[in-house]
Amino acid sequence: MDIDIIELSDNKARFIINQIEPAIINGLRRSMLAEVPTMAIDYINIYGNTSVLFDEQIALRVGLIPFTTDLESYVLPEECDCNGEGCTKCQVSMTLSSKGPIIVYSGDILSSDPKILPADERIPIVELKKDEELVLEAFAKLGTGRKHPKWQAGIACGYKNLPEINILENCDSCGKCIGECPKGILIMENDILTVTDALNCNLCNLCTNACDIDAIIVQGKTNSFIFRMESDGSYTARNLLLEGANTIINNAKQLNEILTEIE
Amino acid sequence: MIPIRCFTCGSIISSKWEEYSKRVAEHEDPGVVLDDLEVERYCCRRMLLSHIPLVDTFAPYQ
Repeated sequence: MDIDIIELSDNKARFIINQIEPAIINGLRRSMLAEVPTMAIDYINIYGNTSVLFDEQIALRVGLIPFTTDLESYVLPEECDCNGEGCTKCQVSMTLSSKGPIIVYSGDILSSDPKILPADERIPIVELKKDEELVLEAFAKLGTGRKHPKWQAGIACGYKNLPEINILENCDSCGKCIGECPKGILIMENDILTVTDALNCNLCNLCTNACDIDAIIVQGKTNSFIFRMESDGSYTARNLLLEGANTIINNAKQLNEILTEIE
Repeated sequence: MIPIRCFTCGSIISSKWEEYSKRVAEHEDPGVVLDDLEVERYCCRRMLLSHIPLVDTFAPYQ
């Protein structure tokens, strides 16, 4: 297995993986979407709310804010010694207090742990008009995307087979395929049909259908994939991928332990 | 208020609303602004394109 990175920034990544089974790469995708734990506000006490939004809506909006996650200091409430009642090992308390006229942003939330902070400080929670106020106390906990999308760290994770476009020698440069390609990756250069960016091909085969003499063949390489992923900010794209892989390893270990016990 | 995340993919779009609405009010093309803000997918683009803020409408009746 080898990986070629095409694009890697803080919260976005695109790379090619060669010689890998589809099952493994799909497992990785699913693990990043549903299994990697992240921090999100899960319990809220509203002491004062005279804004235009109902308490429930405020709770939903606050819940959806992504927080930077530290998996070393916190554990999932289900796995905690306190049995999910809430202790310093499994939850972080936060407060928010604002008086209008002002727009309350996610950056106004005061966290008791400096490592657990809103990943994006410019998320508007509610706009307060004159004399309106919002006072609340919240508890952030770890959770997984399987339970609620607010804990989903991976965004738009997906993959496709690596496209291979072969133009055969009997191509008569009629140019019919160029207009058919929805991605516009086929061009005519010095009367020869050329492919500009094969990675952009979506394997739709419209070009092969347009060709009367079957001179263009589009195929997805069986065990090579282009993977594309984004993070919501709770992890960097690189760490999210690592955590995704770690989760699979841990699950496999657990399964192994259960199976050995049965024997 | 603008929804925090895209309904479909879960990407954070609310933090881009202020710049988007300000620039569109200055008669910039919404499509160009969305490209500038790196809102790529059409699920996220429709979130900003189709949003109507209602806070000012409701505020007098509080």
